[in-house]
Amino acid sequence: MSSHDHHGGALPAHPETATLEGKNKVLGFWLFLGGETVLFGTLFATFIALRNQVLDGKSGEELFSLAIVAAATILLLTSSLFSVLAVQAMNRQDVKGIQFWLAITVLFGAGFLGLEIYEFVHYVHEGHTIAANAFGSSFYALVGFHGAHVAFGLLWITLLIIQLSKKGLTTVTAPKVYVASLYWHFIDVVWVFIFTVVYLMGKVG
Amino acid sequence: MAHAHTVKRYSGLMDWLTTVDHKKIGILYLLAGGFFFLVGGLEALLIRIQLIQPLNGFVDGQTFNELITMHGTTMIFLAAMPLIFAFMNAVVPLQIGARDVAFPFLNAVGFWTFFFGGLIVNVGWLYGGNPDAGWTNYAPLSTGFSGIGADYYAIGLQIAGIGTLVGGINFLVTIINMRAPGMTYMRMPMFTWTVFVTSFIILFAFPALAVGLVLISFDRLFDANFFNVAGGGNPVLWEHIFWIFGHPEVYILILPAFGIISEILPTFAKKRIFGYSSMIFATVLIAFLGFMVWVHHMFTVGLGPLGNALFSVSTMLIAVPTGIKIFNWIFTFWGGRIEFTTANLYALAFVPTFVMGGVTGVMLASPAADFQYHDSYFVVAHFHYVIVGGIVLGLFGGAHYWWPKMFGRKLSESLGKVTFVLFYTGFQLTFFVQHLLGLWGMPRRVYTYLPGQGWDNLNLVSTIGAFFMTAGTIVLLINIVLTTMKPKDQPADPWDGRTLEWTIPSPPQEYNFKQLPLVKSLDPLWEAKMKGEEVPAAEPLGPIHMPSPSILPFTMSVGLFIAGLGIMYANHDFVNQSVEKFFHSMIPVYAGLAIILISMFLRSVIDDHGYHIEVEELQKEV
Amino acid sequence: MANHEQVQSSERIKRGPAHEGPRNHFIAFGISMALTLLAFVAVATPEFGNTFKVGFIIILALIQAFVQLAFWMHMKDRGHIFPIVGLATGFFVFLTALFMAVKLLWW
Repeated sequence: MSSHDHHGGALPAHPETATLEGKNKVLGFWLFLGGETVLFGTLFATFIALRNQVLDGKSGEELFSLAIVAAATILLLTSSLFSVLAVQAMNRQDVKGIQFWLAITVLFGAGFLGLEIYEFVHYVHEGHTIAANAFGSSFYALVGFHGAHVAFGLLWITLLIIQLSKKGLTTVTAPKVYVASLYWHFIDVVWVFIFTVVYLMGKVG
Repeated sequence: MAHAHTVKRYSGLMDWLTTVDHKKIGILYLLAGGFFFLVGGLEALLIRIQLIQPLNGFVDGQTFNELITMHGTTMIFLAAMPLIFAFMNAVVPLQIGARDVAFPFLNAVGFWTFFFGGLIVNVGWLYGGNPDAGWTNYAPLSTGFSGIGADYYAIGLQIAGIGTLVGGINFLVTIINMRAPGMTYMRMPMFTWTVFVTSFIILFAFPALAVGLVLISFDRLFDANFFNVAGGGNPVLWEHIFWIFGHPEVYILILPAFGIISEILPTFAKKRIFGYSSMIFATVLIAFLGFMVWVHHMFTVGLGPLGNALFSVSTMLIAVPTGIKIFNWIFTFWGGRIEFTTANLYALAFVPTFVMGGVTGVMLASPAADFQYHDSYFVVAHFHYVIVGGIVLGLFGGAHYWWPKMFGRKLSESLGKVTFVLFYTGFQLTFFVQHLLGLWGMPRRVYTYLPGQGWDNLNLVSTIGAFFMTAGTIVLLINIVLTTMKPKDQPADPWDGRTLEWTIPSPPQEYNFKQLPLVKSLDPLWEAKMKGEEVPAAEPLGPIHMPSPSILPFTMSVGLFIAGLGIMYANHDFVNQSVEKFFHSMIPVYAGLAIILISMFLRSVIDDHGYHIEVEELQKEV
Repeated sequence: MANHEQVQSSERIKRGPAHEGPRNHFIAFGISMALTLLAFVAVATPEFGNTFKVGFIIILALIQAFVQLAFWMHMKDRGHIFPIVGLATGFFVFLTALFMAVKLLWW
């Protein structure tokens, strides 16, 4: 039951849920994601309610560049696949593999974040700010909240990579890897709805 | 297999700041929630003094607005919620036969964020400018016309809300993963069941509030336009978001009170709870329907006949599961050997009082009638019957019932009965007449009224009732002080109880159960007592692993506190130059965020090995 | 993979199925990419009507979310009752908020 019974010895097949602490962490994180669903759900509802309130500002149809959104989408989607491969490496108890795939996840995630920041700066120059109109407010609230989640995820996963090289894969670090990968997938799923509802539907008008 | 880790164990104040023991955190919640309960009660008393006669000049209109806002906000978020969390912490792990909660560290984070969030909401008492837009904080009043008070409200509740959400997740995982062997879902005590369901509601309702508060803050601090009509926003959006959270919040509060009543009644009727599985069904149904009724707070907004009719029907539906519960309670004490202890007096008074609040609720659920009642004292009477007559009676009953388990001392029964009589009489005096005041046209949230409208006498009666309630609360305080001076002499099972918390000493050792119990039925202790046995153990005596205390939950919350104050004052002008330089900037925000991130970093990299309590030590403590 | 049963622990551990290998995950990635591409192409095609476009891309998004949740987040595996309950209830609350945003707010 204690969190370090498996030090030194071979890890069990599912090291992320081998201890009660690990099981608690994974379940608790899943429930947290349920709460996050409501959080993003409320932001989506707000955006859908206010997305046509552009006043004399520019609408999404005029602002959005589908090329940038497509590039950002591919980056995030691929990084989500890489975090799957990190968990696959964890199943093989291959610490180097986990670190490698997580590092690439971070790299692609950072690329996504960079594109988003570039995009936001561009919009601000176009006069599309949080204070411009209700469309701008709800756009930055929704997409910005998602971006903040990405940024936090990057910090978190980077810290995990460092921890793995210090502590190796144990029944303490394995749940962290698993949970971080869940978080990253969830961010990707939210992005699926953002590119659909915000950008593509914005383009449709 | 047990490694002996040396661990620093603190004493005195540091012990309370660093504790991760759910029983101590429960006591912290009780103290902090009790403190805010007194503050909110004082605010209520001041409101009633102002309304004692027409054209009274005790406080001015602005102060009155601040008083009603702070009374509502404090009582809901800073008194009722933490008091419920106090009993959740103190009782649930014991009832399910667990040694701890799932996340002891996060449990402490939850308490401290609630506490510092509560301080921010109340910081206006020191520096002026309290929240004054009502506890519902409607836009555009709160976004365009309130002073810094609305920031205190939004940021403070945001921080306190983190604590609540964390607490909800913690209890969900605790109940799902850490039940004792044999404790199936259908053998869980009713209080645990209601906490389980309440935690789910918290999980799905509080994120909506968090978003709403962020939007309010963005409108106020960054000139966003969510609720600003001139910028394309819609103030009704806030009402929707607030009540999508706000109505489930009502059930977050009342369901654990239902649970407390469902523990007290069987114990003092010497009967198993009637209709156990229908109680669970009703609880889950109430929680589910609770998410689909929010528009009944907004009938007069004018959403049209379809919206109003839909939400009217869903609201009335809730009366069905609630009625199931009422009848189950009646059948529980029907034919029982009823003991009139203080706890049971509260429970017995709860049932008819809550029925009254429920009946006026069904009246309000009819939109046509609601157009007459809306924003009148009838509504005030309704929700005080539910909240005071339901939640507060439940909490007071629970306090008398579990006080021996939490502290090892029993609250004085005779003083307790004095409190009950004073408080209950005062409650009926204060709020029954408010039904009539509302039906006679007195609007709520007015700081004074003209004479000669037939409201004078009933307002006087209502204020006299408030003094009765105050007297009852003072007697309760005296009772608590006197009890605290008595020795810890309570046995494990002072009430001849039925559930697992009464199988271990009062107060329990830090590890709760020396050996995890084996549960074979509902009410395992009662079952064992009837057979003349003890509750069997599920495991041999072995070393017990405990989590280490940590100061990090406290520092994280301090960081949030500093960052929260900082972001509010970043746009604020100060008279003093040097103060201006520091606070009229983002320095405090970054400092606060740095403290949070460093604390989180330390938590992540330092493995908590905890420590073990060895078998020899366990045997010594027999 | 076969050394599953060698692990002895005092805890009762609910064992999931054997690790499935990366094949399903690559398939899920392929499906996700295809659905994304389809959505972008649909929006960029002027021949389609706007109502069709919106309905079509929302359905694509729902399918993609479902695929990713089921495969990448292992929700199809055993022992995921509470994750399903959690996300489904969260989604349900979102639907009520969506009803508010679409039907109730601007009247």
